[in-house]
Amino acid sequence: MRSFRLAVRLARRNLRRRPAQAALLLLTLTLATGMFGVGMALYGSADGPWDRVWAATDGFHVSAAYYRGRDADRADVDLDAARARFAELAAAPEVRAVGGPWTHLYGLLDVAGGTEDLTAEIRDLGRSPVDQPLVTAGSWLSAGSDGVVLEQGLADALDVGPGDTIRVQGHQLAVRGVAMTVSRGRFPLSRPAQIWITLTTGEALRRIGLTEEGLEMQLRLHDPDDAEAFATAHEAIEGRGETSALFLDTWRRRRADSHSDIDILAGTVFAAGTLIGLLTVATAAVIVGGRMAAQTRQIGTLKAVGVTPRQVVLALLVENLALAGLATLVGLGAGRMVAPRLAEVSQTVLGRPETPTLTWGRAAVVAGVAAAVVVLATVRPAVRGLRHSTVRSLASGARPPRGPGHRTRWAATAGLPLVAVLGLRSARRRPARLLTNAVGLSLAVALIVVAAGLRPSLNRLAAAGSAPAQPGEALSAGAVDHLYEAVRAIVLGTAGLLLVLATVNALIIAALAARDSARNHATLRALGATPRQTVATLIVSQLGACLLAVALGLPLGLGLWSVMDGGDLPPVPVPATTLLAIAAVVPLGFAALVAVPARRWARRPPARVLTYE
Amino acid sequence: MSAPGGRPVVEATGLTRIYAADGVAVRAVDGVDLAVEAGETVSVMGPSGCGKSSLLHLLGGLDRADAGEIVLDGRRVEGLSETSWAVLRRRTIGFVFQSFNLVDELTAVENVELPALLVGASARRARHRAVELLERLGVADRRDHMPDRLSGGESQRVAVARALINDPLLILADEPTGNLDSRATGEILRLFADLRASGQSLLVVTHDARVASTADRLLTMRDGAVIGHTHLGGVAPVGSVLAGLADFGDAGGAR
Repeated sequence: MRSFRLAVRLARRNLRRRPAQAALLLLTLTLATGMFGVGMALYGSADGPWDRVWAATDGFHVSAAYYRGRDADRADVDLDAARARFAELAAAPEVRAVGGPWTHLYGLLDVAGGTEDLTAEIRDLGRSPVDQPLVTAGSWLSAGSDGVVLEQGLADALDVGPGDTIRVQGHQLAVRGVAMTVSRGRFPLSRPAQIWITLTTGEALRRIGLTEEGLEMQLRLHDPDDAEAFATAHEAIEGRGETSALFLDTWRRRRADSHSDIDILAGTVFAAGTLIGLLTVATAAVIVGGRMAAQTRQIGTLKAVGVTPRQVVLALLVENLALAGLATLVGLGAGRMVAPRLAEVSQTVLGRPETPTLTWGRAAVVAGVAAAVVVLATVRPAVRGLRHSTVRSLASGARPPRGPGHRTRWAATAGLPLVAVLGLRSARRRPARLLTNAVGLSLAVALIVVAAGLRPSLNRLAAAGSAPAQPGEALSAGAVDHLYEAVRAIVLGTAGLLLVLATVNALIIAALAARDSARNHATLRALGATPRQTVATLIVSQLGACLLAVALGLPLGLGLWSVMDGGDLPPVPVPATTLLAIAAVVPLGFAALVAVPARRWARRPPARVLTYE
Repeated sequence: MSAPGGRPVVEATGLTRIYAADGVAVRAVDGVDLAVEAGETVSVMGPSGCGKSSLLHLLGGLDRADAGEIVLDGRRVEGLSETSWAVLRRRTIGFVFQSFNLVDELTAVENVELPALLVGASARRARHRAVELLERLGVADRRDHMPDRLSGGESQRVAVARALINDPLLILADEPTGNLDSRATGEILRLFADLRASGQSLLVVTHDARVASTADRLLTMRDGAVIGHTHLGGVAPVGSVLAGLADFGDAGGAR
């Protein structure tokens, strides 16, 4: 207990002594935990409504559907054969209840600016034992009424409700109700638009040209968990013609697909959180490593006065875990505030998702990740610092290289400028940190490559969204634009955030390197080197990590982009000129960043550095 | 304050440096007047913290004075930029620091040749001169060692060699023998005597009265001010000091 109290006191003292570094670590950890928190909160937030509606509608366990392509030749359609297969399926012993088969009529809904593809499902008047749509406004179909019931998304898109009318191929129909069901996705993410009609209305629509083109049947089994096995056992009845197809689907598969848009958001935010998390590890490692280097002498002093190595490690862990805890609280708090706003832009199969919530379990995962980051970043340098003898720790914070090294000796004789040779020597001083810096920066480079690929892809998506509507898409065309806009905002926002984080990372690297080299550079100036020469020396010493980062980051970025490119995004290869520009601009930008702290140190009188630093 | 004879290599008038420590102004250097002539050796003595090192830093342009003026090699320097100071230092001043301040990324010989390379000497010429100096100071066998492999005495001799490589007009030495055994101290003093003979000027901060006594003049400092000024003028020739040092019998090169 006394050990812990001492560790807490030491940690508090360190935090007070270097508040800027603590603030930076806190900021990066907060960003990561915040993004993780949002991603985790969004995941599955659309599950609740789906489950509720599935239960309320006696939702299907297995769905059988027979469709044909809208523009295809009708010669391929064989509804009688499909009916026979459906009958065979409905007679299976595992089946407890059957809904349908219901006939689908294909037609066109008249909307402002053109038409929208429409499916009218002919329903029985009574309540179906399976997949009876949940009415949210008005009433369900009944005898003697020629009104129709609109799928909720379609009603929202048309902004109509009970009492209003719609027009199908010039024929006016009264809206009797609005309903939702899990067997039909929400328009416009699920197309074509759907209405439910009575047999009588169906006859009227046939007369104005709507044709019978599809069938759907919903089954409930004795055990919903058997759905997958049932579908597999009966896959022989599935068939795909040139223009038509009969296929089976299970409730679990449909449930997983039903909220793909919010999954895109969650996936994007989660991926962003992961990337930020990785960069945070790199940044935290650099900060903690740098603090360790600065604290080496302090550790020596502590050890000299009798503080045990265990207490020193404990102090560092207490300090960094306190920061991680605070970052988790702030990050999760911010995540809780942001997640519902993100969810608001989403459309799911069943309207708005539930307000995303963070469970204790998910919060624990985020906290665990933050703790793991700091423990990873703390333990190695701490143990290294403790392995040094007390005398060595007291002697100096910076570790000199073992020898001049053949390569830099060769560089000197090859006539390289003196500052270059000195910079190369300096680079050999902390090879592990150089590698850490290179890894951290390579992530940033990779993300710049991804951002370079994303921009034209997202622009192409946006252009596609705003393109003139195709026939039968007058209502749905562009309706998903706002989702892509949200994804685009998140992706580009994340890229910007990562760029800021990478810049902060580079600045920390530069600041630590400048501090490490301050004494040597002050000596160089005492010997006649100009401030500009010492700045150039520092830039050369750090440029190696940046060049290595570019060499690693470019292929990594291309790899990441190829993975994303294979998804929903249109394939837009990153041009070679862009890659070359990145390879040129990143080192220049990095050099400019390194120059900032280097110039700050170069402005200090050498005597002050040599006496006090 | 200068000795009669030659033109001062460095001349300071009313030199003042005030540090703020916890809100309290500390006059580290307080109105010092000083001149060092060509070929002259001046020792500075005084208790720790009396401003000896601060004075050296001001004269070498490593710190900026709050008041007073400095004329170095006939040129007013207090308004020079950092870059101009650096360029001036290359040829004019050689520093020997109390804590050596060897660049820990360079070997001993590379440390010594660094000032020569900075003034534009060829790598071959700089190396030749560096090795020559290291041989003269008895550390040539350590030329390829990194600073952390050198003893205090060896580091001090490497630092002295580095200060001398450009044959500067003025050598500012802060406790140049502070880490040396008697034999190594003798080598340094002999070297300084040779420098003085060749017309180079030295300003040596020391706690060692025997080293101070080899100078032409001795300044005594207290609380940032010069409180005593003694003309020695060969009162204790190097030879006699060396004889005294030999009495200690410490000829080892402690590592």
